Amino acid sequence: MNNQIFKRLSYVVALMAFFAVSTQAQSPVDPNREKAIDSLALEKVKDLGKYIAIIGNKDTPFSEANRVMDRAEELFAPGSEMGVSSLASEEIKYYKVREYFQRLMALNYDKVNIEWYDVQYISDLERQPDGRYVGVVTVYQKFEGTTADKLNYKDTTKKDITIYVEKKKTQIAGRTIEFWDVILGDIRVSETSV
Amino acid sequence: MKRLILLSLSFFFVFTSYSSAQIVGENYEIEQQLLASTKQLNQFFKRFNGEEDVKGRTFEPDDRQYRNERLRKRYLSILFDEEDTDISSQAKNDFIERVTQADNPAFLNLHSKDWFAVVNTTFLYKGKELPLLLYMKIQKEALGYEWVIADVAFEPYKTMFDKQRGETKVFLHPMSHELDFMNLRKALLKGGVPESYTLADYKPDFLTIFLYEVKMGILQFQTVNRMNYHFFGVDGWYFSLNNFNRANDNSGWLISDLLQVNASQKEDLLKMIYEKK
Repeated sequence: MNNQIFKRLSYVVALMAFFAVSTQAQSPVDPNREKAIDSLALEKVKDLGKYIAIIGNKDTPFSEANRVMDRAEELFAPGSEMGVSSLASEEIKYYKVREYFQRLMALNYDKVNIEWYDVQYISDLERQPDGRYVGVVTVYQKFEGTTADKLNYKDTTKKDITIYVEKKKTQIAGRTIEFWDVILGDIRVSETSV
Repeated sequence: MKRLILLSLSFFFVFTSYSSAQIVGENYEIEQQLLASTKQLNQFFKRFNGEEDVKGRTFEPDDRQYRNERLRKRYLSILFDEEDTDISSQAKNDFIERVTQADNPAFLNLHSKDWFAVVNTTFLYKGKELPLLLYMKIQKEALGYEWVIADVAFEPYKTMFDKQRGETKVFLHPMSHELDFMNLRKALLKGGVPESYTLADYKPDFLTIFLYEVKMGILQFQTVNRMNYHFFGVDGWYFSLNNFNRANDNSGWLISDLLQVNASQKEDLLKMIYEKK
């Protein structure tokens, strides 16, 4: 866990150093900055992936799963939802992020394996009317669940994850430093045919 | 052929990307499919414009590959649905030639006014779940952009305001003014035909009715079912995009309709898409 905190801190510090020269509060994201923001966004998406795997794992103790759910929830903007559809039903069902995690934890399998394909796509960042930037990161997750009587369920889902990018300010040694922060938003989960 | 093009392009990037070293075994085939799939509309735009490599990494504008004509032709050839639509190869080739024309290339832009989304939704209306189409456009607002509802199509609205014309229609007689319009009491009844008492060229504004009914809770949003996108930004052409969820390379957001259209055909097509009479 200390390693994780250190890794995150170094990301934030690196981004702060990168953007410290910025003077315009609402300046557009230039391509180099966008790359750094993409890395931070991917880092958060990877964290979410790890959390989902831990929450879904049947060997994870209840208290640990709840603690991880808290950490996972912190990645999201308040009110974020998961919109879920399957191959059987194109209708989107909507869940609050916490509810989605709780449903994942309560799945009726004896063994659950969650993996992520090594394919991700990051959209451009687009500016919203409020000046914040928004983008979408697409990742693919493979789920395998086995019941006590050895019945196997498999699916691959596409996850389109909203990322909000906001310029923030902090005081370090009396100097105001600006940095970009990334927070996750709504996620569209759709089952794929692969 | 297309798969070969993609694979040959992919190999280059697979062997130059450190992260791809993890692609092994049974996942390899699937990951190649996912890589080939046009995963977001953003990616459709980028491939159409020739602004990214096969791994989805954006080219800088000073990169010699950026908007490169040959690269665009390769990408454009894989942006068509190959299974469910009957776009002729002649139309496809003509379109590709048109958008990559050296002296007048056509590019797509998210902020353009020449495209829109049609979102098929379900609403609860008077106790029944009914389909409702939302026509969405992107517009500039304050510091950025937003998607907005430009129009709606909803079956119950279509006939609700159909007014009768001619001798058999109900009307307020031409001397009503002398009676201080006291006959309005008989005209404006619940369940009646108040549209009969409007101007000859009266046209209802469905969007306003929709907004009112949402505000009043008469229409309650249930879910989004599917959506497609319509493009009129390439002079003389129309095309639409649909999302194809398939276990092969020809998947994701792909061109499902392609037509060469003149100005009057464009108007007819718009009326058809907007379900206007």
